[in-house]
Amino acid sequence: MKTNTFSPPRHQVRQEFLTKKLFYLRDLKKRTYGFLLFFVPLVSWWFMVSPVLAYPDFQAFIKKNSGRSVDCAFCHANSNGPEGNGPGQIGSLTPEEFDRLNFARGAFDPGRNVNSPILNAFGNRVIRELGKKKFIEIKNHPADLAKALDPKVDLDGDGIPDVQEFLDGTHPLKNTDGDPGRLFLANFLKNHTQILLLLFATLFTLYGLNNLLRGFARFFEAEDGEGGR
Amino acid sequence: MTKLKGNDFIEKVRTEIDQRLPLDMLNLGDLMAHKEVPKHRMSWAYYLGGFTLFFFIVQVVTGLMLLFYYKPTVSEAHASVEYITHQVSAGALVRNMHTWASSLMILSILIHLITTFAMKAFEKPRELTWVTGVALLLITFTFGFTGYLLPWNQIAVNATKIGLQTIEQVGHYLPGDLATWPRHLREIIQGEASVGQSTLSRFYAIHVVVLPFLIFGLLGVHLLVVQLHGMSKGVDEPAKGQEKFFPFFILKDFSAWGIAFLALFLFALCLPFESFFPYPLFEPYDALGSTPEGIKPEWYFFFMYYPLELLPFWLVMLGVNGAMVVLLFAPWIFKGSSRKTLRFLAVLAALYLFVMTVFGDKIYHLVKGVGG
Repeated sequence: MKTNTFSPPRHQVRQEFLTKKLFYLRDLKKRTYGFLLFFVPLVSWWFMVSPVLAYPDFQAFIKKNSGRSVDCAFCHANSNGPEGNGPGQIGSLTPEEFDRLNFARGAFDPGRNVNSPILNAFGNRVIRELGKKKFIEIKNHPADLAKALDPKVDLDGDGIPDVQEFLDGTHPLKNTDGDPGRLFLANFLKNHTQILLLLFATLFTLYGLNNLLRGFARFFEAEDGEGGR
Repeated sequence: MTKLKGNDFIEKVRTEIDQRLPLDMLNLGDLMAHKEVPKHRMSWAYYLGGFTLFFFIVQVVTGLMLLFYYKPTVSEAHASVEYITHQVSAGALVRNMHTWASSLMILSILIHLITTFAMKAFEKPRELTWVTGVALLLITFTFGFTGYLLPWNQIAVNATKIGLQTIEQVGHYLPGDLATWPRHLREIIQGEASVGQSTLSRFYAIHVVVLPFLIFGLLGVHLLVVQLHGMSKGVDEPAKGQEKFFPFFILKDFSAWGIAFLALFLFALCLPFESFFPYPLFEPYDALGSTPEGIKPEWYFFFMYYPLELLPFWLVMLGVNGAMVVLLFAPWIFKGSSRKTLRFLAVLAALYLFVMTVFGDKIYHLVKGVGG
């Protein structure tokens, strides 16, 4: 028995397939737009209201490694961290600063010209040099930050590289803060001419004073002698 | 009869005063020509008073320089100190010299006091020299306490709060109406409910006007009596010889000042005092922010601070006040004591100060760790 089957011509099948695909693609496009229209504001809103992490893992590492206590101002613009309404905190940012903040948040690769308003120069340097992706990877091994950064850069110009300051628990942007031994040596080498000049000035002053006082003493002795006669 | 007794008493008082303050001997030419310094194994101690005077002169000069830029208001004090450190030409150097010299002045005054005690240099007729010296030590400590607040940073304000609370706490151990006196004293010093603008203004006035007046007056008396009585014998055995004060001793004294100046300059130029502390302690004081870790008074109060953290308050206060009374009346309390006994006591006191200052923190953690 023969089965009566209707098979449409090949070109018709192809046409139907393409039409379906087109509809599917149009639908996908709609769904994507819908997704974007719904989720982009949601994600943006979440970014705006969610607590901004100040990565306390680094703070804990610095304290453990150096014995010195540090605060959020090590990397952030405000010593109380990024949350709040104070200067350098989320609550006080202008729209332009928000743009810079969001740009920094999306800087996953190194080399982006990051200038986040909630970070200080050192914090921005870290994100610029490593990128957000590597920075988040390092978070679980904070000691690796010292290996990942350029060992020569010294933002405060105190003679101690930022990497060393990170390990010592001293501020990389304050030139009066540094390991006392290292700071003494660096400043001594930087100011050796002034020190040498002062040494000579003191020696010459003492030499002059010595002669002056001996001269006075002779004068008094001579006067005593005359008085005695 | 009574009249005669009265005259005798007045005569006796006059003789006692004349012995201690022989103003008739005040002759600069005579002092320069005849004053001598004994030579013996403790001769080095004669330079300590000079060191203290040198650091005081540095304090006056650098303090005047800082006065040109410092602004004593809670909103500007910290910023003005930052301005001095980072913007003013040689500002960091001058500020560091002021900070280092304050510590070195206290260090030299403490060693001077201990060696003077060990040498029994307070013996009659030098009681006035001793008493003015002790008063100068107290004034210097007050200089340190009031000056600590002026930069208006976290450690300054919080440490001052603790210091003022300690004064009030004394009242809990006093009887009757006396119990309220320490609170009144604290209120007078503080000037308002908490450490604020009034406190800063008062500390500033005390630091730059009141204390300098007092110290200049007392230092004048102290130096005058030192010159009138000359150098004390210092040791029991006979001196190896005598050295003329002018010009030989004074030349050595000036040379020592030269070395001290070089050392001070080197430290001030190369080693900011702040580098010994974590940086959050030097951030501007924030009444609403969290208090950073490691709030402590200056190192020269550690001898009192760590015992206060470890022992009952009344016990430490009793000890400190008792020690102050003994120190002030030392010429009369230790009148009959031998130099050997005094040396032993001086070594004990020096050891206590050294251990508490250098190892106080370790002892505190050790005791608290064991206790916890």
